[in-house]
Amino acid sequence: MTTTPHVLWIDDPEAPGNRLLGGKFGSLADMHAARFEVPPGFGITTGAYRRFLDAAGLTRRAEEARSQAANAELSEIREISAGLTAEIESAPLPPELETAVCEAYAELGTRSGQVDVPVAVRSSGESEDLAGASFAGQYDTFLWIRGVEELLRHVRRCWAGMFGEAVLTYRTEDEKPPPSDLGICVGVQQMVAARSAGVMFTLDPVSGDRSKVVVEGCWGLGEGVVSGGITPSRYRVDKVTFEVLDRDIVEQESKFAFDPGCGEVALVEVADELRSQPCVTDEQLHALAELAKRIERHRGAPQDIEWAVGEHGEVRVLQVRPETVWSRRGTEQLVGDRKSPVDRVLARFAGQRVVRGSGGA
Amino acid sequence: MTLADSHPDTTPAEAVPGERFASPFAIRTPEGAEGWQSMYPYYALLSEERAESEDGKFWFFDGMHNPEPLYPFDTIMTENWWVAASQMSTRVWPVPPAGGIEHRIINGYLYISPSAVTDPDEIARRAEEFSERAGHYYENWDEIYEEWEAKATDCIKRLKAIEFRPLPDREPLESVLSHRGTYSSYELLTKYGELIHNLFEMGSYHFEMLNLGYGAYLTFQEFCQAAFPGITDQTLAKMVSGIDILLFRPDDELRKLARLAVELGVTDQLLGTEDPDAAIAAVRAHPNGPRWIEAFEEAQDPWFWFSTGAGYTHSDRAWIDDLRLPFTAMRGYIKNLLDGEEIDRPLESILAERSRITEEYRGYLPTEADREEFDGLIELARKVFPFVENHNFYVEHWHHTLFFSKVRELGDVFVAHDFLDDREDIFYLHRNEIYSALYDLIIGWATDAEARGVTYWRPEVERRRRIRDVLKAHPPQPALGVPPEFITEPLTVMLWGITQQSIDEWLGTGGEDGADDGQLRGVAASAGSAVGKARVILDPEDLHLVEDGDILVCRITAPSWAPVFSRLSAAVSDVGGIMAHTAIICREYGLPSVVGTGFATTSIETGQLIEVDGGTGVVRVIEEASA
Repeated sequence: MTTTPHVLWIDDPEAPGNRLLGGKFGSLADMHAARFEVPPGFGITTGAYRRFLDAAGLTRRAEEARSQAANAELSEIREISAGLTAEIESAPLPPELETAVCEAYAELGTRSGQVDVPVAVRSSGESEDLAGASFAGQYDTFLWIRGVEELLRHVRRCWAGMFGEAVLTYRTEDEKPPPSDLGICVGVQQMVAARSAGVMFTLDPVSGDRSKVVVEGCWGLGEGVVSGGITPSRYRVDKVTFEVLDRDIVEQESKFAFDPGCGEVALVEVADELRSQPCVTDEQLHALAELAKRIERHRGAPQDIEWAVGEHGEVRVLQVRPETVWSRRGTEQLVGDRKSPVDRVLARFAGQRVVRGSGGA
Repeated sequence: MTLADSHPDTTPAEAVPGERFASPFAIRTPEGAEGWQSMYPYYALLSEERAESEDGKFWFFDGMHNPEPLYPFDTIMTENWWVAASQMSTRVWPVPPAGGIEHRIINGYLYISPSAVTDPDEIARRAEEFSERAGHYYENWDEIYEEWEAKATDCIKRLKAIEFRPLPDREPLESVLSHRGTYSSYELLTKYGELIHNLFEMGSYHFEMLNLGYGAYLTFQEFCQAAFPGITDQTLAKMVSGIDILLFRPDDELRKLARLAVELGVTDQLLGTEDPDAAIAAVRAHPNGPRWIEAFEEAQDPWFWFSTGAGYTHSDRAWIDDLRLPFTAMRGYIKNLLDGEEIDRPLESILAERSRITEEYRGYLPTEADREEFDGLIELARKVFPFVENHNFYVEHWHHTLFFSKVRELGDVFVAHDFLDDREDIFYLHRNEIYSALYDLIIGWATDAEARGVTYWRPEVERRRRIRDVLKAHPPQPALGVPPEFITEPLTVMLWGITQQSIDEWLGTGGEDGADDGQLRGVAASAGSAVGKARVILDPEDLHLVEDGDILVCRITAPSWAPVFSRLSAAVSDVGGIMAHTAIICREYGLPSVVGTGFATTSIETGQLIEVDGGTGVVRVIEEASA
């Protein structure tokens, strides 16, 4: 315990794939090490989370809550969740942990040249993104958090999120509840003031075709795309030739962005002249697809990637996780019966399909 | 004469947007072109007696081979492949689902209609025979292609040996002393027969392997389209096409000649004038000149037998007839060399890109069995492709341009015997009329009396010229009749670019005006996008008008236009599919292109600023021409 760091920077040599950073943030550190453009930041480690629970005297309660919830009715779960969440959100951080977080945040401010630098605060679970459980959308993300007080508050909210109803009722694909001592890391990263953002897949999520990159994006922050609140524009790019095969541009009236009026991220209007315009240029699209291809090659398997394009057109990687749907479904062979090429051509002339199920005459 | 004329109570169907095209019988003869039918053979015309079948078919305008109203003589080409292409599908293989391709001439324009076999039992019966016959060709492809090249070359050699000369006043003494018993009259008629049969022979070779070549390609294409939905046609072509195909040779020869000119120090002579004859004379006068002239003459045969069109009409001249185009290109290469630029095609990087693309797609296939299938199909496609790509040079370029030059020689015979004023006027006669006219000429010669043709043909040629000029001023509709439910016939799709989509587009616009809010759609033939000034070229003669950065808009381009491609930023054509000659060359030159738009030359004007997206097949007018 004593040797476990509370804070681990993304660019720390120890960071890539480190379990202390949870799945998501560990992957990001790995991306950074491989020289992909990841916004600077640090993780408040799973060790820090456990130290907090310990100091607040909540370790045992947390484990009990999880095992109770495994067999409880929804109404009971709701009660368990509400009680524990409230306690976590109000408990103080042990001094050495609070100091570590404050120092790291100040350091990020120095690095970025901004006092009270706006950051994104994200949960990064231990079992998340690991095989068999994507936990997609179950954990919290808070954007445009400024100042150390706000940061600490949202770190606690992330921790509390571990006991939200959704997480307590989450089941892995073999119907088991997650382990009761599940830990969490909280990632803190400098905000990318995204001109446009979204997600992309290194395969076509509709057909499973691995020769495509499908990019979904919108004006402003990518939250709208990730949460499903904004219908994104969609581009299908050939992964080999980088030709843009389809563009499905959706008119967009509002976007997620920092609203100085209310001091937080909110839905604001998209300028009239941009509404029906594509949110990425052809060059950016090419850069994104190339990035997706490099990430997939580096990670050795299909990936889902959250991306942002900054005010100056710079492309950034926000999240990387293994694609789960098609990878789990297993590979399906295209051709049916085996035939020599000549026999295949002769059969095609006779009206037979070249490939099972689709295409052909 | 249309049906409407003879049956006032049965009005032929007009076009119904979204549903059908106008009946071929609803097409009116333009004023001043009355009697156009007399220029063409009876069997190529619509008739009341076959109206029921003709009215029910789907006809599309074959602007790819014959963009203009046919000259009566040039119908020899369409009649030739009407037989040659159709017999392969119906009588030789037979291709299980494909029937023959019907031809009709309407207002002088060629319309064609591919027919399909739809009865599953019939298809199965044909498939059995087909497998044995076509299987034999696929299994022995390389040897058969080698034989094919020898046959084609020999056919061309025999064509070259045919010579037409005016009949002599007196038979030469030797033809008497050798007791041959036949004279110049017999020879003239026989040679004409040989000429006609020689074309028929080449026509047969033309289609001997073509359907099979397309079929193997199409199978690979369909496999890839299923595995990689949305993969573009140009990417597929890139994986399969060869890099040293004959169509690139003529341009390569120009590069060689340019390099030799630099080596020998005769560049001033070649750059000093735009007149090829003057340039040749200037080179000849230089001490090093003869060496260059020798190389130039060697390159001309066969590489300058290169048509400036599709090779189906005599009006598309060859490089050998008109040296301006190759010389313009060669001057460009010489200037590049003098500026220290590289002019070679980057063969190595083209080859490297081809293997990169192939390897990457292969790697994205789901299973090992699929990768094996991919390997087998691409290997077969690459094996058949040299024929698919190279037959163009042998047939359409070398043979056809030589053929037309022989017909011109015969035209000189008619001029010498006072039938015609100009050798070119022979093309206003149908080939069977020429046979009659030759007989007439021989009678006149034999009897030493004035042949009827001396007063008969001049006014007739004039009448036909007037009619054809009127027809030319009335562009044809892209399609007529009842559209088919499905388009699956390989030739139709690959060669003409007729797809379900293009039919729908034509239908949507009522088959009249393709321009829809300044946007045209066609086949995405070569990737990339460009914005530039439109240059509409209807006659290859006007190619020299092209300026740097222009976007060429034409009915169809020919490979021999390639040298001006380096000045273009993109090319758009009315007709042609992904395998059309244009598309092959555009891809090679990395020029964005959209082919098969149907209406580009009639809806776009020179000077307009247009945008071409060779990836999606869309052409847009951005700005009107400045006055």
